[in-house]
Amino acid sequence: MSNAMKMVAVLLGSAMLLAAGCQDEEQQGEEIRIGLIAKSSNNPVFLAARAGAEARAAELSKEHGMNIVIDWQTPPTENAEEQANRINQLAASGADAIIVSASGAEAITPAIDSAVAQGVPVMMFDSDAPNSDRFAFYGVNDLQTGQNVIDALVGVIGDQGDVAILAGNQNAPNLQERVRGIRERVAAQYPNIRIVDVFYHVETPEDATDAVRRAMEANPQINGWAMVGGWPLFSDALVQDFKNRWPNVKIVAVDALPAQLVYVEQGVAPVLLAQKVYDWGYQSVDLTFRKLQGEDVPEINIMELVPVTPESLGEWAHQLQDWGFEDVPQRYLEMGAAGEGAATQAATAPATADGN
Amino acid sequence: MESTQTSAPPAALDYARPPVQRRLPLPRLQELGLLLVIFALWGTLAILAGGRFVNWGVQINYFKDTSIVAIMAVGMTAVIISGGIDLSVGSIYALAGVASAMVLQNPDPNSSMWAITLVGIATALAVAVGCGLINGIAVVGLKVHPFIITLGTMLVFRGVAFVATKARSIGNFPETFTDLARSNLGLHWLGVPRFVQPVPMLVMFAVTALGVMYLNAMVAGRHVYAVGGNLETARFSGLRTNGILVGVYVLVGLSAGVATTLANGIYGSASSARGVGYELRVIAAAVVGGASLSGGRGSAFGALLGALLIQLISQGISSLRIDQNYNDIIIGFAIVVAVVLDHVSRQLAERRLASAARVQAEPIEAAVETNESRSQGETR
Repeated sequence: MSNAMKMVAVLLGSAMLLAAGCQDEEQQGEEIRIGLIAKSSNNPVFLAARAGAEARAAELSKEHGMNIVIDWQTPPTENAEEQANRINQLAASGADAIIVSASGAEAITPAIDSAVAQGVPVMMFDSDAPNSDRFAFYGVNDLQTGQNVIDALVGVIGDQGDVAILAGNQNAPNLQERVRGIRERVAAQYPNIRIVDVFYHVETPEDATDAVRRAMEANPQINGWAMVGGWPLFSDALVQDFKNRWPNVKIVAVDALPAQLVYVEQGVAPVLLAQKVYDWGYQSVDLTFRKLQGEDVPEINIMELVPVTPESLGEWAHQLQDWGFEDVPQRYLEMGAAGEGAATQAATAPATADGN
Repeated sequence: MESTQTSAPPAALDYARPPVQRRLPLPRLQELGLLLVIFALWGTLAILAGGRFVNWGVQINYFKDTSIVAIMAVGMTAVIISGGIDLSVGSIYALAGVASAMVLQNPDPNSSMWAITLVGIATALAVAVGCGLINGIAVVGLKVHPFIITLGTMLVFRGVAFVATKARSIGNFPETFTDLARSNLGLHWLGVPRFVQPVPMLVMFAVTALGVMYLNAMVAGRHVYAVGGNLETARFSGLRTNGILVGVYVLVGLSAGVATTLANGIYGSASSARGVGYELRVIAAAVVGGASLSGGRGSAFGALLGALLIQLISQGISSLRIDQNYNDIIIGFAIVVAVVLDHVSRQLAERRLASAARVQAEPIEAAVETNESRSQGETR
């Protein structure tokens, strides 16, 4: 047996073993397969969305006596073209529906349209592809989110002072929309609030932290930060800076994941506006199932933000734990009552400071 | 086994004129082995995944998803054979893509769509070739290792794409252009669904065929092996090594230009984030296909097979509903196993050859010794 043949045999054997060992067990009953493509499997918010999708699929399977399977096809890192390929593959391999959060709306629109043309309904969550043939979107209203952020910040620092905006990638359309929401709200309702500047940065905790520090050094008059994303709060590097060097400066930011809660606990960010990331999956599967059953579903489904404050910190910590986050610090869990009540209450709470 | 590989010659002159049997190359043993693995894995997936894998849509999509990496892997193989490397291929793919997109976006309805399409395609190819030329001239002129040069240009090219687009996604291309990549080519008349798009697959096969012809059947292609096998020998043999080296970087640039033109058509937009990390996928495909990072060895057909195998594993993970989180682990493992096995088998073959050479040499040495003894005796 030549060496090349040996190589072939070993590779083939490995592949067959792998395939046989990893194949899902076939399940009985009518199967509905829903492909789920989030932006990246490295981001914990999308793992929570997956947990929500699988939970709703299990509930619906039980209710309707069928087998609803969530086919997780999220790329490891953000790549719109890879998403488009996976939409095509799901549609071609017989998926019944596809749920997507777009890394790049334009790049995946042809794939969505092709899937829909093949009879596979596509729904968007978190990040929309509005020009595609998708049947629905579930996520926050970005303009309103910006308004909510500045309203909450004014609630903390008062209706006068210097405010800085932290805005991540300067060309991300959803973030620009949030910034526009802040600017329009300030112009319309807060004449004594001055926007110092909008600070952009690479969307990593380290770059965001450096951006905040540079801005504070250059503009010590800043009273508050309106952060349209909570990038620097994923690291606790700024806690001591704000407590010791800039104790009167407060933050309001979007998102409230476990690593960010220390800023609420320490009073640096009296309010965080949380997206219900678990509901991205839960609600999307619910809407998709209804669509597959022939029901009419609303095209645009707005997710309300949940205010997380020192008072609701324990409750929110339990909510995160229920959603599958494994890194919720124990001290927060000990703050509030565990159980279904807390989770339901937080998940259905109206958005904060909705000025509309 | 070594004798069955496309390998560097002891002297560059062997390549000045390709032997007749090389003009119509047949798959070599390693390529046959890869083909066998691909067919066997395909058969396994067909049995285990059934209709989720065996249907027109999945199969053509499989080739389509392979095409971008495979096309660039053909160009990369030429660079690797020459003893170089190009880490900037993903950035060239991005820069040429956005440059072309800027030409194609929002076309004036009063203009000829065909003219805009042709200019768009030409722009992608010209920018990609220009980037390759910059790489080649820098490698030859500065005499710095291509790893360093292309690491730098990888950042420069992507940075230029980022600045030029302001990180926006550029789309809204004329249908004349997008229809080229998305055409069904009339296959629906044969019962193939209309959404099936075979053009990327056909382009991939065409580029591979051109690569095979260039590297195996043309004098210029054989010179690439000569340079990669032994640069000094090639130089002393009278080959214009600098021109050959610049040429392979132009080739990989050109392949990125072809790939990005296809991608613009398939996806209908381009952004500076396109192809991040693709350089490693492309190099992996070339290496799995048998290219040696020390130069002098590899083939365009092997690059195609390497890309097909890696994508088939990825496709298998999807079709078998294995958790996608294991995707990179399985593919990474498969790449390492494939390359290590190839390396080990080559070492064993070299040892066998050396051993055979010793066995052949022993009687000759004995005869020489006998002759020397006789002549010494006669002298006395």
